[in-house]
Amino acid sequence: MSKPATIEKIDQSLIRELDPEGKLNLLLCLQCGRCSSGCTMRQETDILPHQLNRMAALGMRKEMLASKAIWACISCNTCVSRCPMKVDTPALVDVLRSMAESAPGDLERVRIFNETMLGSVKKYGRSYEFGLMAVYKLKAKDFFSDLAKFPAMLLKSKMRLFPPSTEGRSAVAAIFDRVRQARRAQR
Amino acid sequence: MKYSFFPGCSLESTASDFRQSASAVAKALGIRLEEIPGWTCCGSSPAHATDHLLAAALPARNLAVAEEAGQDVVVCCAACYGRLASANLAIREDASLRTEVAKMIGKEYEGNVRVRHLLQVLLEDVGPREVRDAITRSLGGMKVACYYGCLLTRPSELSIADDPEDPQLMENLLEAAGAETIEWPYKTECCGASFSITRTDTVKRLSGEILRMAKESGADCIAVACPLCQTNLDLRQADIEKATGRSFGLPVFYFTQLLGHALGLSDAELGIGKLMTNPGKVLGCRL
Repeated sequence: MSKPATIEKIDQSLIRELDPEGKLNLLLCLQCGRCSSGCTMRQETDILPHQLNRMAALGMRKEMLASKAIWACISCNTCVSRCPMKVDTPALVDVLRSMAESAPGDLERVRIFNETMLGSVKKYGRSYEFGLMAVYKLKAKDFFSDLAKFPAMLLKSKMRLFPPSTEGRSAVAAIFDRVRQARRAQR
Repeated sequence: MKYSFFPGCSLESTASDFRQSASAVAKALGIRLEEIPGWTCCGSSPAHATDHLLAAALPARNLAVAEEAGQDVVVCCAACYGRLASANLAIREDASLRTEVAKMIGKEYEGNVRVRHLLQVLLEDVGPREVRDAITRSLGGMKVACYYGCLLTRPSELSIADDPEDPQLMENLLEAAGAETIEWPYKTECCGASFSITRTDTVKRLSGEILRMAKESGADCIAVACPLCQTNLDLRQADIEKATGRSFGLPVFYFTQLLGHALGLSDAELGIGKLMTNPGKVLGCRL
């Protein structure tokens, strides 16, 4: 982590960018640590929830975007549910993930999985697990894990070989396109 | 009792036994579940981790279609419940998001469709007394650890339970079916959920802790209401046993499978054969 922030160096624009309408209550954080003591991923993260909240207030953009924390978060919502001030850390993490272009180390797999899963939904309107797994494994170069599970899952009809079909498919593809256009227009 | 039904992608694949057992139980208790025509994916975790507008628009499309039928929407999958309920609340409370979503889905939607989990319908609309009266094959004091995971009780505004830290819905339902539900502290811990594919070691650690606690608390089996929880605790149980050198042998049922068994429905109707950890001993039959 970089040098401690000083008051002159605080990037106050960040908090407005992360939470333009002030819905996440980031500045209300009391640093009580109740979120962090219950965090599911406390053993695997580099920045705990209460630290992340304060980093947002201090404008530590680079540090947050490069952290393991925003990808290690499993979105279990334990922190926000127990927070006495209703600071919405999971929503903060989502905003940071949407801003980050990559994830550190093997956490990149999480980002690749998200991208691949949404690709599957855009194409078929629903998630197509078998195809999704194939594409994910190629992209993440994770070829061998869980291969032994496939036969039993196919046998027990817990995975379909063929893609799903739904008449809502084209409506979903249109939503993806419109969201992308809306985001482009914003930039 | 008629409802619009949002099955979700998992109930078509990894949780096909959840769908089978939910449909069979609903039919046995006089609940009509009418599938939302042309329903599409709720976006699950990847959508909210990527773009909040997409994460609201994907559920909103389904809810807008469902609104035409004028009925409550019933969901089985905990993740779909979380996404639908979360989008619904955000759209209701945030006028600018509502306008944006309407542009994305090409339709006005105000967030007014009531989204409910099947557990709520069984307890609030059918009721434990009616369930008890319909039981033909009591669970006979089977010791069940009811496990909720994250998405049915968190965040607290969307919780299906009065107390998000100590939900009692499955307990009330399965006790009506003759089970003895155990007191245990891990019922709302996280199983590793969506990291099932990407971070298997994390899932094994978290799910292993849940299995260990259920076993030490005296459970014969675990009841769940979420496809991801079921997959992590059941499909990965043998790997966890191997890695930890402990033996659990805990079948992981959808609550609808246990309820259906007590309603006298057959194993085939409930998809019991799709479970990975053999439930024969617990159900008192050979599988």
